[in-house]
Amino acid sequence: MRQWLFTGFNAFGQHAYKCADSEERHPLGFREITPPPTALSGNFLIALSWRYTAYALGSTIWLQGLLEEKVGECLQVQAPASIKALAAGETFCLVLLDDGSLHKLPAKLQATLQELRLEAVPATRPQKRNIFGQVKTEASGDAPIISHIACGTHINVAISERNGVWSIPSYLHQFPEPRAWRVQQLVCGHEHALLLNANGDVYGWGNGLRGQLGQATLRVEETPQLLESLAGVKITHIAAGGWHSAAISAFGDLYTWGFNCNGQLGLRVLKRDSVLKEPTVYPLPQLHDLPLCCSSGDKSSDQDSVDDNCPPVRVFAGSRHTWLLRRCGRLWASGWCAYGQLSLDCKQSYLDSFHNLYSVLGLEGDDVDILCGPWSTLLICSK
Amino acid sequence: MTAIADTRLLELSKLLPTFESIEKLLQNEVEARYILKSAAQLMGKLQVTANLGTDTEQVAYLIRALVEKYWERIHSGHFSKVPLTTRQIYALGCYYKIFFLLFEGTDPSHLDQCSAILDEAQLLGCTENLYEGSAVLQAALMQYLDAGLDQNLKTLPILPVLARRPCRCDIKQLDGPSISDFKEQCFQALQPALLLNTIDHWPARRKWRDLNYLMQVAGNRTVPIEIGSNYASDEWSQQLVKLRDFLHRQFAQSRADREIEYLAQHELFAQIPALKADICVPDYCSLGKKATSEVDIKAWLGPQGTISPLHYDPKHNLLCQVFGCKTIILAKPEDTENLYPHQSEFLGNTSQVDAVNLDQERFPLLEKVKFYNLVLQPGDCLYMPPKWWHYVRSETPSFSVSFWWE
Repeated sequence: MRQWLFTGFNAFGQHAYKCADSEERHPLGFREITPPPTALSGNFLIALSWRYTAYALGSTIWLQGLLEEKVGECLQVQAPASIKALAAGETFCLVLLDDGSLHKLPAKLQATLQELRLEAVPATRPQKRNIFGQVKTEASGDAPIISHIACGTHINVAISERNGVWSIPSYLHQFPEPRAWRVQQLVCGHEHALLLNANGDVYGWGNGLRGQLGQATLRVEETPQLLESLAGVKITHIAAGGWHSAAISAFGDLYTWGFNCNGQLGLRVLKRDSVLKEPTVYPLPQLHDLPLCCSSGDKSSDQDSVDDNCPPVRVFAGSRHTWLLRRCGRLWASGWCAYGQLSLDCKQSYLDSFHNLYSVLGLEGDDVDILCGPWSTLLICSK
Repeated sequence: MTAIADTRLLELSKLLPTFESIEKLLQNEVEARYILKSAAQLMGKLQVTANLGTDTEQVAYLIRALVEKYWERIHSGHFSKVPLTTRQIYALGCYYKIFFLLFEGTDPSHLDQCSAILDEAQLLGCTENLYEGSAVLQAALMQYLDAGLDQNLKTLPILPVLARRPCRCDIKQLDGPSISDFKEQCFQALQPALLLNTIDHWPARRKWRDLNYLMQVAGNRTVPIEIGSNYASDEWSQQLVKLRDFLHRQFAQSRADREIEYLAQHELFAQIPALKADICVPDYCSLGKKATSEVDIKAWLGPQGTISPLHYDPKHNLLCQVFGCKTIILAKPEDTENLYPHQSEFLGNTSQVDAVNLDQERFPLLEKVKFYNLVLQPGDCLYMPPKWWHYVRSETPSFSVSFWWE
């Protein structure tokens, strides 16, 4: 059984609350929602944009929200094959099918799936030839088989099974062959992309003018760059918010970097006792000293081991907010909360340090997933 | 239903656009179209019934969300590449947001908040030619808000007239040069010069020393300030604040150990026409390719100790000192390679060198550089040709106006 718990901006009827008895238009706190085809149950794929949410089950896609003129509009489209992944952009949804083909579905009524044609791998790359001298590469006329997709407002990325990278539809980069180099996670902010490989290295590209890319120099990077300052630290999970990024290491350390306009990095926004701001851009990864979590650690132990402070295991980010899942199942968050993103009613419109705001105690780590929409948070619990 | 009793507010709301008058702008903007249509219809009904409908709260919520969403869009990518439509919709959203706030209350705290939003509509958004009559709304709203916030407290100091003192000046000094002298000796020769007695006729020279005057004409305006003494340091940040709060923090008697804030490189005069009337564009700026209307005029106001690290600008620059003194260190464009510019896109025109504390061990090429020192005193103008390096530090509270032209 899956349960979807939602909190945040839902003014366009993107999400239908299961208990619709409430008179409140903007309920606070996590509430159970149901995907559009209420009769169906199953492992829906979900992707959240600002004015609509995309759901997929098997080979059917639903977009729900403000598509043209009214709230709660819904579009249902049949894909030619099973859907493997969704990425919800501002005005269209990227749809990846099981056969590795990539499509786009505009977020409007009457829209249909359009197959995306990606640029061929340029011929300047060394080309393998078969024994008859014919060229044998990805560019040999076949469309690349895409395995990962992600998008933001100004960036759309696809990666092929052979580790070719596209800034849709242009060919961008080739990572090493998949035998030695595997994509673990691909995420996008408004205008930057981050990639984690199975070795624990993080790469970033796109707009880094607000420190999103974790490089000492603020600039736009056209192609993937290794995040040097975390090289040597094995990273196990990453997240990209609007203009910020976060990573968790195998040591259980949390790093955040980028734009801190609303405390999304878990760092102070205003100077102490002042109406003036601290710097808002942190170009280099900031290591966090997180508050004690479940404090179940053995206090009598004379070892001050890291394990005593329940480490974060995964991190998730929305436009201006960040969630952490800690080992015990407690969820911690920081950042903008004016639209219920953090499930609480703040007098202030943001939190600028991590707070424990929810818990999924008793669930195994794999049974919990979090999806951050731009201004919302969706908790997916399987039992 | 809530009745709106404030007839002036009701009158003002009539200046908001009809949906038809902004429909074209919203053609391809699904969310803005939906939200602004609801808002325009709600305001339309208000004019007929003088009552706010039951969906007011929801529309107000959507308008706030629209403003936040477009704030995000304005902050994505280079500001110069943000589509004009995005900035126009942001400004429209701000207008509605102000009205919904005023319907909640018109006490000073609400008015204050509204005048900040109105300034942001202008600073981040684009308020020009939004719809027929939008300029009338902008002006009327500002007047309405400022009237409610009027304050004539004379609590700020009048800065003393500084007696002129003999100072070091390593560059040529010209006393009120004619345009042709300036053209020949400075502009065409690409030589910097200190120009004396060229702005004595500016009303600003008399008026601005009385900080209460600045407060009176511009105290309610929101302006960008830089916090931290030097924009190239890690501790530096930027923020939008009320000019009045900035003046109080930085110039009232009890400045004490406050952090330095600097109103720097801001187009204050486009924002506040009353101050523009106190200065005039020097005739020297008419030399060059473009018309004088294309001169960028920027304000630089701060306490003692503001620092602009060694950097260069691409245009001709006339820096005019209204009050206070500044220490300035110059270097030639030819020395660029010896001045160690930063690598980043933002700081590419800025040197890593601290011009008052030369570290020749770290930066050995500095040995080759000839620096020119001078002090800019009230009423002086410094002409710098394009790409001349300059370091600027205020020695007293200071207000400078710079003119950049091509």
